[in-house]
Amino acid sequence: MTGSIEIDVKGLDFYYAGNIHALKRINFPIYKNSVTALIGPSGCGKTTLLRCFNRMHDLYPNNRYEGEIIFQGTNVLSRDIDVIDLRSRIGMVFQKPTPFPMTIFDNIAYGLRLRGMRKRAELSETVERVLKRAAVWDEVKDKLNVSAYELSGGQQQRLCIARALAVKPEVLLFDEPTSALDPISTAKIEELAINLKKEITIIIVTHNMQQAARMSDWTGFMMLGELIEFGRTDKIFTNPSEKLTEEYITGRFG
Amino acid sequence: MRRERLRVIQSRIAFVMSTLTALFGIFWLLFIIGDVLIHGIGALNINLFINDPAPVGVEGGGLRNAFVGHLLITIFATLMGVPIGVLGGTFLAEYARDRGISRFISVLSDIMVSVPAIVVGTFVYALLVKPLGHFSGWAGSVALAIIMIPVVLRTTENMLSLVPWTVREAAFALGAPYYKVIIQVVYRGAATGIFTGILLSIARVTGEAAPLLFTSFNNAFFSINMKEPIASLTVSIFQYAMGPYDSWHAQAWAAAFMITLFILVITILGRLIIKWRYRR
Amino acid sequence: MNFLKRKNPVDLTFSFITGIASVSVIIIVIGILYVLFSESSLSIERFGLLKFITSVEWDPVRESFGGAAALYGTLVTTALALIIAIPVAIGIAIFVTEVAPNFLKGPIGIAIELLAAIPSIIYGMWGLFTLAPIMARYVEPFLQRTIGKVPLVGILFEGTPLGIDLLTASTILGIMIIPFTASISREAFNLTPSVVKESAYAIGATKWEVVKDIVLPYSKLGVFGGIVISLGRALGETMAVAFVLGNNNQITSSLLDAAATVTVKLANEFTEADKDVYLSSLYYLALLLFIMSFIVLAIAKFLILKAERRYQR
Repeated sequence: MTGSIEIDVKGLDFYYAGNIHALKRINFPIYKNSVTALIGPSGCGKTTLLRCFNRMHDLYPNNRYEGEIIFQGTNVLSRDIDVIDLRSRIGMVFQKPTPFPMTIFDNIAYGLRLRGMRKRAELSETVERVLKRAAVWDEVKDKLNVSAYELSGGQQQRLCIARALAVKPEVLLFDEPTSALDPISTAKIEELAINLKKEITIIIVTHNMQQAARMSDWTGFMMLGELIEFGRTDKIFTNPSEKLTEEYITGRFG
Repeated sequence: MRRERLRVIQSRIAFVMSTLTALFGIFWLLFIIGDVLIHGIGALNINLFINDPAPVGVEGGGLRNAFVGHLLITIFATLMGVPIGVLGGTFLAEYARDRGISRFISVLSDIMVSVPAIVVGTFVYALLVKPLGHFSGWAGSVALAIIMIPVVLRTTENMLSLVPWTVREAAFALGAPYYKVIIQVVYRGAATGIFTGILLSIARVTGEAAPLLFTSFNNAFFSINMKEPIASLTVSIFQYAMGPYDSWHAQAWAAAFMITLFILVITILGRLIIKWRYRR
Repeated sequence: MNFLKRKNPVDLTFSFITGIASVSVIIIVIGILYVLFSESSLSIERFGLLKFITSVEWDPVRESFGGAAALYGTLVTTALALIIAIPVAIGIAIFVTEVAPNFLKGPIGIAIELLAAIPSIIYGMWGLFTLAPIMARYVEPFLQRTIGKVPLVGILFEGTPLGIDLLTASTILGIMIIPFTASISREAFNLTPSVVKESAYAIGATKWEVVKDIVLPYSKLGVFGGIVISLGRALGETMAVAFVLGNNNQITSSLLDAAATVTVKLANEFTEADKDVYLSSLYYLALLLFIMSFIVLAIAKFLILKAERRYQR
């Protein structure tokens, strides 16, 4: 039972500076309130693809997008888009925990303050809400004014998730969020993501196939910049259509 | 959306300000270089290099004694300071690696790199000038060597530390004693870096005047006797620039230009060497 | 087969030689302290500490010496120089790391390092021949006409604008420390991991917000450490200020007056000090300067070590 399409990727090509053709003719849908996983060997372009959704490539000169990414009726890749607004609605969590050099409270409040929220009461309420949502409230509620660096790696990553949630995104992009974490923190975050999909659409890049199989509803397998196959997770992992997909899944290459 | 617009505009303004500040700073610095170039080249003539200072009021004086004296002082300072610096850095990076004494001397050296040069001059004065009763080129060289030692020591230590431990292990595995590993393997790996460090330390002391003021002092005549006061470019610049004669001022500019040229050439050379070495 | 483990004698010798070489640094520091103390002992005995630091008298004839004027000049020129240099240096560092197009970043970086290599005597000489006349003819009269009229603040700009004064000296000193400070700040800024910056962009921050809220706080220990090093260097600077300060032993409220610093005093009077207590007092000043800059540089080193440890995480 598929839901409505939240994001539609149409004919996406991407070139890094120096005309390096990194993504080739990508076409696939992201369904609302689902977890979509992007898997593939190192260098296949999954992170490159992820970073197109929130226009992260704009930060570095001479990158070029071709094609369209339609999000709620508008093409995200067009010149007229307000990128700052886009990034409120499509948030991102990175590979390594990236706390800002501030207190825990200020970390979460940062995105809110940028958008003009000033009142302490409002901020506190949101901070508490998202820290609870990110399953880390109990561990930090007594030390909100402590530097975020004092937290463990797993806690910091959940802090980053809370921080991204604070600005109420509709889509959340996860770029290998647990690759730097221990198994227990990893499990917590996987559980968190599955929980979040009720309200938010999630796209996750992972090099860990088992993680993709555990967490996601839909999976895309990529190689050398192309999307080889896209479909329901259980189908991809039990009965893939493409030979390459099958070879990757069974570990013929990595 | 209005708030986003405002923030983007704020961002643009902030960066325009930073560009203006940068241009302001860069402007003054280029102005100085330009001035030195223009006045210096304008005052360059052959007399500067082949003549010694003329009596006051007489035309055609030069700074031959200062060029030669400065060269001598710098050469001997390098001969004294560089070996101590290199050997000291070797001790810190090799035999005393990760030990407390190594950290301590390293920190001390870093501090000494930036300590007032004129104080070093007073120190050497008390040691080598007062007891002997006269200024000397040797005292000047010692003062410059004292300034060079921490610089060379730190760069040597850093460059040696960059050589991976596994390289040493491979040599040990072949049965080499530590000193051979250091001299034949580690030094070779760090040679370019150490050499560049030495070049840069020479560039640094070439421009020093304060430590020479009461050690090598100055000499109006041509001399290559290191046991006596000896002329140096920087002290001459100090004297001539503060003096009343236009011809002295011109010579000061010319000497300043030559020193700046020398230092820039050496510094650029050092960078090019590093770039060439790590070009892969 | 002889398995006796024998310490290689050449190794022992080499380690000994290198050890002595490294210890030379300690010996030099102790040597300097010892010499400075012993040479200034006459003056210390005669004038003590508090009296010497607070007395403005510097009279070789009456053999009465006090270091207040010199210390005042040192502190004022250094403070003003930093006020001038820090905003410009950080502006340059921000420009090079965030604003400048990629192809300019390298060349400007190299230019800054070359400028940092230029010896202070060049700056000093330029100050005398070019800046001082500009200050005397345009800048200082202008300041007198404008800020000089403002009550309270105006006393900073009294006197005849001759160009050989605290203001000119501080300006030269300030310009001189810009390249080094900019270079260290730039290195500190570049240490901010791009992932953290990207996280801020991903939350929707503008470029300036990322610099202000992420890069600057992240690198503040390193930048501050660099500033403190510049402070230490400025304290001990001789040639940049010797040409344009005048060596006038006085504590003055006007920036347009000539003054003295410890270094300038030493440079001008050391070889002329004919009496023992005169020379000893100069050594006393040198000792105070050495201790001051040593402490400042030690603080800087401590800050930088702390910054490096932070980045290890």
